[in-house]
Amino acid sequence: MNAETMGTPPAVIATQALTKHYGTVHALNDLTLEIRSGEIFGFLGPNGAGKSTLIRTLLGFLHPTSGSATVLGLDIVADSVEIRRRTGYLPGGIALYDSLSGADALDYLADLQERGSPLREELCERLQMSASVLKRRVRDYSRGMRQKIGVIQALQHDPELAILDEPTEGLDPLMQHAFYNLLEDQRAKGRSLFFSSHVLSEVERICDRVAIIRSGNLMALQDVDELLARRKRTVQLRWRGAAPDLSGVPGLADVKVEGDRLRATLLGDVSGFVRAIASPSLEDLLIEPARLEDAFLEYYAGDDASEEVRG
Amino acid sequence: MNLRLYLQTLRWNQVRLIVILVASVGWGTLMPIVYVQFADLFKSLANTGKFAEQLMNFGSGSLFTLPGALTLGLEHPLAIAFVGIFAVGSTTSAIAGEREGGTLEVLLSRPISRRRLYLTVAATILTLVALVMLALLAGQMLGVAIEGVGNEIQIGQLPLVFLNGVMLWAAFAAFGLAASVSFDRHGPAIGLTLAYLLVNYFLEILGSLWRDVAWSQQYSLFHHFNPGKILIGNADPLDFVILAVAIVIPVAYALVVFPRRDLAAPS
Repeated sequence: MNAETMGTPPAVIATQALTKHYGTVHALNDLTLEIRSGEIFGFLGPNGAGKSTLIRTLLGFLHPTSGSATVLGLDIVADSVEIRRRTGYLPGGIALYDSLSGADALDYLADLQERGSPLREELCERLQMSASVLKRRVRDYSRGMRQKIGVIQALQHDPELAILDEPTEGLDPLMQHAFYNLLEDQRAKGRSLFFSSHVLSEVERICDRVAIIRSGNLMALQDVDELLARRKRTVQLRWRGAAPDLSGVPGLADVKVEGDRLRATLLGDVSGFVRAIASPSLEDLLIEPARLEDAFLEYYAGDDASEEVRG
Repeated sequence: MNLRLYLQTLRWNQVRLIVILVASVGWGTLMPIVYVQFADLFKSLANTGKFAEQLMNFGSGSLFTLPGALTLGLEHPLAIAFVGIFAVGSTTSAIAGEREGGTLEVLLSRPISRRRLYLTVAATILTLVALVMLALLAGQMLGVAIEGVGNEIQIGQLPLVFLNGVMLWAAFAAFGLAASVSFDRHGPAIGLTLAYLLVNYFLEILGSLWRDVAWSQQYSLFHHFNPGKILIGNADPLDFVILAVAIVIPVAYALVVFPRRDLAAPS
């Protein structure tokens, strides 16, 4: 019985002890992970952690030192061309042919893809690339406009799997929002999306699962919700009169009382905590949501690389 | 071969191709005219003994005969610049230039194998080189017709001259492409290919000017491009074999090395 008949979506990307070394530099070490069909998968790590190395290995730009991987069930070494036919790829910091107009660049890349461009019109509309903008030469585009062309070329042929390397780089907040909606719609259509990022807030917002990589090693691979549920939240409250008795509240720790204010961390279910503080003397309450950034920083504790990650 | 990529690469070269084709026809036309106008003068100068005869030669060409003049026209630095723009400039920028500019990444994310990309680029360059060679020869035949000296050469040998010329430049283009697939930046690729071209050229010219080192010409690819000999019916099959070997070796190298190379993210 295969994975699909058992109810688990099939893997669109599966790596088995995938390793890539450049001489003494270990860019990827024994990386084993599975990305399922129909999910948005975030691949997190600061610059130099190995995110792009994995993407480039999956697409045949790099040859694995050892281990194996499949994309859409196809071997990354033997079937690289077929993999690229069925996927869409947005390289980090995409370079385009400056002498072409935006429309010509998209036409050219669609022709080379050999699958038409059924989503072009919709993508251009949603990313606000009007016909007049597309007529201009790429050399006259701003960074954000180039990035939008990059997103469109990666998705215009409606690929089964899109691999996006830092896709929101250069997009303004409005376009980032449009882009997130786009990804969610693609997911709703059953498409799979794999994207690398060091912008934790966007990964937290749209990804179903996330992998955290550090120096080529997989540090975590979890559902985003699960990862957050296992994080400590910060709670703050203020009251009038006597302080509430919080002894025995499960998961509460690091309690600090300053006058009429209390600050603590809370792990797990909040209901016990809420019941314990329920009182007419309670004046204010703040429960900060668990953040992916905290989880991420924990994996990178003591590593300078964490400074490159943006919340 | 990928037809779309082939046509687009041709399109990117179309402006300079048109300019070079016009210039090539013009330059080709000039050589028979120069020959008719100045051959006697050069011969009399040579007969005075005041000039060493070899100083009136240039590579395998000279101005004493029409075949020699045609050879000189095709080996002249100007003709080399015309063809070299594509055989050296376009080849080295085709892969290494795209890699340096980051567009190779976008190209190779399409369903195109590296071997197919290489062969498509090679076919495009071969087309460009063949067109320039054709324009040079067309110009020369125009000049021959204008001066009415067609009886001094075997015009039926022209296809062989064309083949010989295309093979010479295909050899340099193959070297340029081999360099192009080996480097991440355009600079080293064009530098190495130019050095290869210049060394070959130097050996050919040096041997023609200085009899004591005439042996050096044997080691120059230019020496195996000899329209003068072909046009009087003395084509040497060995010239074609040597040029074929000079094409096959870098092509084989590129076809083996390029697909195996790791293409790390552009820095």
